[in-house]
Amino acid sequence: MLTPKNNIIIGIIIALLVVASYNVDANPIEFVEGLPNLAIVVEEMLLVEPKYVPTAIWAMFETIQMAFIGTIVGFVIALPLSMLSARNLNSKYVYGPVRALLAAIRTFPSILWAILFVIMVGLGPFAGVLAIIMYTIGFVSKLQYEAIETIDSDPMDAVGSIGVSKWQLIRYVVIPESASHLLSHLLYMFDYNIRQTSILGLVGAGGIGFYIINYIKFFEYGKAAVFMLVVLVSVLIIDWVSVKIRDKYIIKSQHGMEVTTK
Amino acid sequence: MKQIQMRKSSTTSLISTKKIIQMNNVWASYDSKNFVLEGINLSIDRGTNYAIIGQSGSGKSTLLKLMNGMMIPSKGTIKIDYVSPDMNNKKFKNMMHTIGYIPQSLGLVKNISVLENTLLGALPRLSKIQSLFKKFPEHEIKEAKRILNLVGLSGKEDRKIYMLSGGEKRRVAIARALMQKPTILLADEIVSELDNVTAHEIMDLITDAQKRTNLTAIMVHHDMKLALEYANRVAVIKKGQKILELGVEGETIVDFQTGDVTTEEIMEMYDANSKK
Ligand SMILES: Nc1ncnc2c1ncn2[C@@H]1O[C@H](COP(=O)(O)OP(=O)(O)O)[C@@H](O)[C@H]1O
Ligand SMILES: [Mg+2]
Repeated sequence: MLTPKNNIIIGIIIALLVVASYNVDANPIEFVEGLPNLAIVVEEMLLVEPKYVPTAIWAMFETIQMAFIGTIVGFVIALPLSMLSARNLNSKYVYGPVRALLAAIRTFPSILWAILFVIMVGLGPFAGVLAIIMYTIGFVSKLQYEAIETIDSDPMDAVGSIGVSKWQLIRYVVIPESASHLLSHLLYMFDYNIRQTSILGLVGAGGIGFYIINYIKFFEYGKAAVFMLVVLVSVLIIDWVSVKIRDKYIIKSQHGMEVTTK
Repeated sequence: MKQIQMRKSSTTSLISTKKIIQMNNVWASYDSKNFVLEGINLSIDRGTNYAIIGQSGSGKSTLLKLMNGMMIPSKGTIKIDYVSPDMNNKKFKNMMHTIGYIPQSLGLVKNISVLENTLLGALPRLSKIQSLFKKFPEHEIKEAKRILNLVGLSGKEDRKIYMLSGGEKRRVAIARALMQKPTILLADEIVSELDNVTAHEIMDLITDAQKRTNLTAIMVHHDMKLALEYANRVAVIKKGQKILELGVEGETIVDFQTGDVTTEEIMEMYDANSKK
């Protein structure tokens, strides 16, 4: 384990950590001095105002709808793009440019897309949905084409040698063989997008984050706390539901696949 | 000498002598440096069962890939019904519809049912609209069920592949190939991992199909005894070269290639192989 080579690597990592901390002004003393401020915030948050719960739930519902539309639309657009990006289905003249496009899309975090779309279509949830779509396309397509590239080449060879079209190969072999991964990515992305959509309100792109940022601006931590709690509980519930769905549909089929491979 | 039980679909003398596959001085390579096949000559009669045996790595699977156009020879010529096998050749692409290919690992789609896997053989007959909506016409579904019944899988149409035994999986792969209405079947060691009884059941299925449709079967085997039992000719490949081409005439095993190998020498190989 602690070979000389590993020691050098660990040493380099520690050195980088120190340099980086210095550069970002990370100061442990400031952190400790700041703790009393946190205590004040927490104290104020404990003055939760329950009458805001319905509004918070409604705002969360909007957030989930935004994430839902963004995830589904993004996923559907990403799928053909990832079919074009898979190296086992295309020549490099096809997958090269498509991958470059997707990589470019991926360089923007969702909050930057949101700012861009707020400028384009104005404040509100529509800008947020567009941001989530773009982010999902960039991110999920990479997961998708990597999954497509790892599928077993034997069914592709066997069915390909019947002389079927590429479209038929995708429809009847590639998608069924990678379906469990694709479903898994969809759930993961939805889960992740709910968290992301929760903060898009910071730049005015709709969702529950809009309330949170406004109450915090006016030091109304008790009201902000209600909205934050609703986010917390929703995310936990969705986490739990997606674990259930995974267990039911994904783990089972992957187990089945394991049994068959020799 | 041991009696070899004959289960062949037909003897060479009874069928048309028309050659369906011909290879002339064929060389093949994966890296254009090292040749994995060196100067292969062979010709296969329509409707016969042609076996290929040889040690692991000798080039048997490569030989099959040359016959279905997945690989192009570096040198020499191959003709399948007078057409060069090449996926980019339009004429051959159409012929591929009726060449069944079963790789060693069978190449079944694991997450779909037995019936759906069988229907894959009918894909070339589907229109664009039909394949978009995954809609197979009723007569194709009927045909798939008929074939599944033939290979002994009726009642298991809706099972997923991962729920099947090794023998049953091979039956599905054969059903998919038969669904192509094939003229040629290429099968790579599909009975090697099976117990003796099941291996014979699977081979009998193929023999039956050959009898019904004058199908030509080219099958890679591991077991010399099984190969001689079912095949009209057995090509023995060693390090990329075809060293023998055996057949049974009456009660003796004959080498048709060189003619100068004694029956004793062949029997030695036969015994060495069948003892395993
Ligand atoms: N896809 C491949 N790429 C490179 N070399 C290969 C490939 N497939 C097979 N080979 C090599 O070609 C030779 C013959 O392989 P193969 O035809 O699979 O033999 P067999 O089926 O008789 O075991 C072996 O040396 C093998 O390592
Ligand atoms: Mg092989």
